[in-house]
Amino acid sequence: MSNALPRRQFLKSALSIGGTAVLAPTIIPSSALGLDGNVAPSERIVVGGIGIGNRGTYDLGCFLEQNDVRFAAVCDVKESRRVGVKKLADGKYGNQACEMHRDYRELLDRSDLDAVLIATGPNWHATMAMNAAKAGKDMYCEKPCTKNISQSLILKETMRRTGRVFQAGTQRRNLPHFAFACELARTGKLGKLKKVYAHPAGMQAMMSGWLPAFPEPDKEVIDWDLYLGPAAWRPFNPKLLDGFNFEKGGGLVGGGVLEWGSHCVDLCQWAVGDCLPPVEYNAPKDGELMARYENGVELIFREKGWIPLGSCPVRFEGETGWVEAGDSGKLVLSSPELLAGRTVAEVGGYPATFHVRDFLDCVKSRSQPKGNAEAACNAHIACHGANIALFLGRTVKFDNKTNAFVDDADANRLRSEAIREPWRL
Amino acid sequence: MHTTWNLIRTVTCLAALTILASSSVMADEAANAALEKELIAVLRSDGPAADKAIACKKLAIYGSSESVTDLAKLLSDPQLASWARIALEAIPGTEADAALRTASEPLEGRLLIGVLNSIGVRRDAGAVAVLKKRLEDQDADVASAAAVALGHIGNDEATQVLRSALVSVPASVRSAVAEGCVLCAERLHAGGKSADAVAIYDEVRKAEVPQPRILEATRGAILARQQDGIPMLLELFQSNDKAMFNIGLSTTREFPGNALDKLLPAEVARVTPGRGALLILAMADRKETVVVPAIVDAAANGSKPVKLAAIGALARVGDVSSLPTLLDAAVDPDAELAVAAKATLADLPGKEVDAKITSLLNGAKGKMYPLLLGLIGQRRIEATAALLKALDHSDKEVRTAALVSLGETVSLNDLSVLITQALTPKNNDDAEVAQQALKTACVRMPDREACASQLASALDRAAEPEKPMLLEILSDVGGEKALNTIGKVSKSKSAELQDVGSRLLGKWSSLDAAPVLLDLAKTGPAAQYRIRALRGYIGLARKFPMPEPQRVEMCQNALDISKLAEQKLVLDVLKIHPSLESLKLAVKVTQGVPELKDEGTQSVVAIAQKLGTKGPEVAELLSQSGIGRVKLEIIKAEYGSGTIQKDVTAVLQKQASEFQLVTLPKANYNDSFGDPAPNEVKQLKVQYRMDDKEGSATFAENALIILPMPK
Repeated sequence: MSNALPRRQFLKSALSIGGTAVLAPTIIPSSALGLDGNVAPSERIVVGGIGIGNRGTYDLGCFLEQNDVRFAAVCDVKESRRVGVKKLADGKYGNQACEMHRDYRELLDRSDLDAVLIATGPNWHATMAMNAAKAGKDMYCEKPCTKNISQSLILKETMRRTGRVFQAGTQRRNLPHFAFACELARTGKLGKLKKVYAHPAGMQAMMSGWLPAFPEPDKEVIDWDLYLGPAAWRPFNPKLLDGFNFEKGGGLVGGGVLEWGSHCVDLCQWAVGDCLPPVEYNAPKDGELMARYENGVELIFREKGWIPLGSCPVRFEGETGWVEAGDSGKLVLSSPELLAGRTVAEVGGYPATFHVRDFLDCVKSRSQPKGNAEAACNAHIACHGANIALFLGRTVKFDNKTNAFVDDADANRLRSEAIREPWRL
Repeated sequence: MHTTWNLIRTVTCLAALTILASSSVMADEAANAALEKELIAVLRSDGPAADKAIACKKLAIYGSSESVTDLAKLLSDPQLASWARIALEAIPGTEADAALRTASEPLEGRLLIGVLNSIGVRRDAGAVAVLKKRLEDQDADVASAAAVALGHIGNDEATQVLRSALVSVPASVRSAVAEGCVLCAERLHAGGKSADAVAIYDEVRKAEVPQPRILEATRGAILARQQDGIPMLLELFQSNDKAMFNIGLSTTREFPGNALDKLLPAEVARVTPGRGALLILAMADRKETVVVPAIVDAAANGSKPVKLAAIGALARVGDVSSLPTLLDAAVDPDAELAVAAKATLADLPGKEVDAKITSLLNGAKGKMYPLLLGLIGQRRIEATAALLKALDHSDKEVRTAALVSLGETVSLNDLSVLITQALTPKNNDDAEVAQQALKTACVRMPDREACASQLASALDRAAEPEKPMLLEILSDVGGEKALNTIGKVSKSKSAELQDVGSRLLGKWSSLDAAPVLLDLAKTGPAAQYRIRALRGYIGLARKFPMPEPQRVEMCQNALDISKLAEQKLVLDVLKIHPSLESLKLAVKVTQGVPELKDEGTQSVVAIAQKLGTKGPEVAELLSQSGIGRVKLEIIKAEYGSGTIQKDVTAVLQKQASEFQLVTLPKANYNDSFGDPAPNEVKQLKVQYRMDDKEGSATFAENALIILPMPK
């Protein structure tokens, strides 16, 4: 299974003879990385997991396969998940040491944890990430990381202020073909960059709303109040327990623009050098939503016209060349010359193993991982800006100096949304 | 009933919100005001809380000071307070500030915390007195919320309140007060009042607060001191506390200016090898000011962890001055160092590096010679003459490195050199490497037609054993010339070339191979290769996007010359790409080939099921064909969602005929059955008896109803 590609196999592949590796590994002493498989307890990164459902279980698997990780605690508002994750972790280590928590604040209070995996529904991501940072924890936070522009900005500032290592769950930044495609665009190999394309897979605005009340389960089984967390109150309804979609974009649950954009727009941002987000967003026309960066490069969300390269495709067009890549692990180039003798490892299935490793390396080195808070913030603002244009059905212009829309009261009111008591960012 | 009604109202409201938003460009203030009045009326009504919640959400966009009073009344409602604050945080003007301040007075617990948080978000400078009072609240969570809100306000008054509180509040509140202080200090530093910021950071550092606050204050104290903060930063590297060392590393990356860079190398020597390696990484992350010679020195003379970190860092910050050290490391007996150095040498930036490597080739000996030759290829340096000269060397390792690099660098004009090496190498040992190098070179040629022409010419003069190799490379190159060359060879007299050619054509990955494959399938010299070509042709129809009529035409072409096995493949293609045209062809096959009746029927039904929106035409087609004709009896049918189900047995019984397909009296399920659960996702469940066997099936709303044959 491609998702399970061992790191060494990948590195071997990336460093294959006859070409320069696209992803040269960061050279960190093996004693720090535990590459010999014998990691001193003092060098282990002790990790706790919060909200470990389907995606979280996959992420957790990536952590568990790292020798220098010790997964010590799980927190979930659902009892069944707490028990399931404990069983998984205890089975891995052959003990009963993984502790369970219903309230994530208990987990964050633990002084033995270095880092947390946040894989709740998107409703909680930003609030929990900022609380984790204030508790002195580094974090791997699934995406979408924020519900609006304001949260994106506060997230970036909080991580900077607290000196925490933040890795957004944008694992495609650590896959060789996407990295190579972005590098071509960023370093001028395609000529002057003109357009970057992202696949939103469903441009729509919608909200989770307020569904009819059902009897609320026992708090130990499902803690509804903690599940709602920062979302405005509403009665219990089992349909809302689909955390993946619940209140994803807060006031503007962002459909594919935010869900997929936090991956493919993030790659576009990388392709444009992780610059500040676009300054203009237009309403969709003929299935395409066009945004424009200050330097004139266009960011285009489009549903159709892709070369069949798998999900989450991106395309970068310059004056002299173009590149397109997708989740199959393949990329298509306007000219083979663009490879310039380099070997691009084909890693399909968007595994997160390398992204998790990048995070863990940075936990040790205190460097910035590929999906760092600033990069994630800019990509998320681009998605939120597009969603606001989509929601309002018209062009909006954004000023990156003031972080406000220009002469646009309606759009500016959509930049943030109050969160429910007692939570704060 | 009530909950369902609520749901309907909610969905309706959301739809209206979107519509209103979409047309807002034309909405004038009067329209907004009218809408606001309607929303206020909802808040004042006895209507369901759900409606009021959504009204709050709308008022976040369309509300003004007119809404504030009614919104503020909801701040004491545990269900609606959070919705009301969505609007109150967004509505501009002092009225909302005043309302939040006033509302805070009688509140306590979570509801009060929510209001204090909103005051903080709005940075209401007029609320300092209110927040100061709440700092003394018995509820530590309330006091903490007040402290952080003061931090967000961050004016002189709020700052003073927090500094005083840092020594007076209980321990349970002190962390939040420290958080507020750090926010204030950060604002002061950004505003040029760095001395004031330093004072606050130092107060927090000395306070009895949790370590995360100490770390934040330490970072802030160093940065706010500016260049005077360097000694404090360097002190962190000697700390026994790992968290302090770590905050030193991250602060190092932020610290401005170049004075720090000159001092960091000495620190590397003062710490443990592990910490030294981490310091090297931090030094290299300061790309604008990093002292490269210090990194080079670490790569040459450091402990092994430091060497490894420095060698890796040079890939990002190194230059030509790093080259001697890296070359030495690349031939070091320590494999870990050598691998790291080779990786860095491949990436080391700069044209000067290329020139130096080329010049070093002259006179290079031992392990250094193949290393340099390899770098020529990895770095794509133009040095064909030097590489060709190396082909005469007695050491196979040298020749191999030269050939690999030729593959990476040779131009179209010099491609013949590699072709010659691949066909008639100077040393027989080199054939395999030369052939791989030729392939590497050919697939990267921008003009693939010209490249294919050279290969085709070589094919004519090559000895028979070498021809398959050239054909393989032609296949990798692709394009018109390659396609036609391989097509021609596939019809030659050589059985081996027929085999290789038809195999390569059979896996061709572009649609332009279709006519060549069809021709070979019809007129190829051997039956097994005709079948291979036909399967390749069908594979193209299966894999590639194209207009559906074209695909169906390809399927028809294939059917014209197919036997049973390939006919099944064609049916599969039709099933994967459903259209009315594909359905017609599948019907035709099913009716015309008795051996395919069962599989054909399955394909026809599968295609029909995917053509839900074209139900009437599909039904007519199936009816005409007689495919799926059965003895059918509907036992029971229900339509609905969850526990809300409607018995629609009678409707289906009336519509059931002698086909697996059941057509409905109207265009969709709701019109045919009535809607038992509006706005819910519904299903149709059917129990039936078909040819005396009982079965059941479930259909998503508005799916074409084709009842499967029970097993």
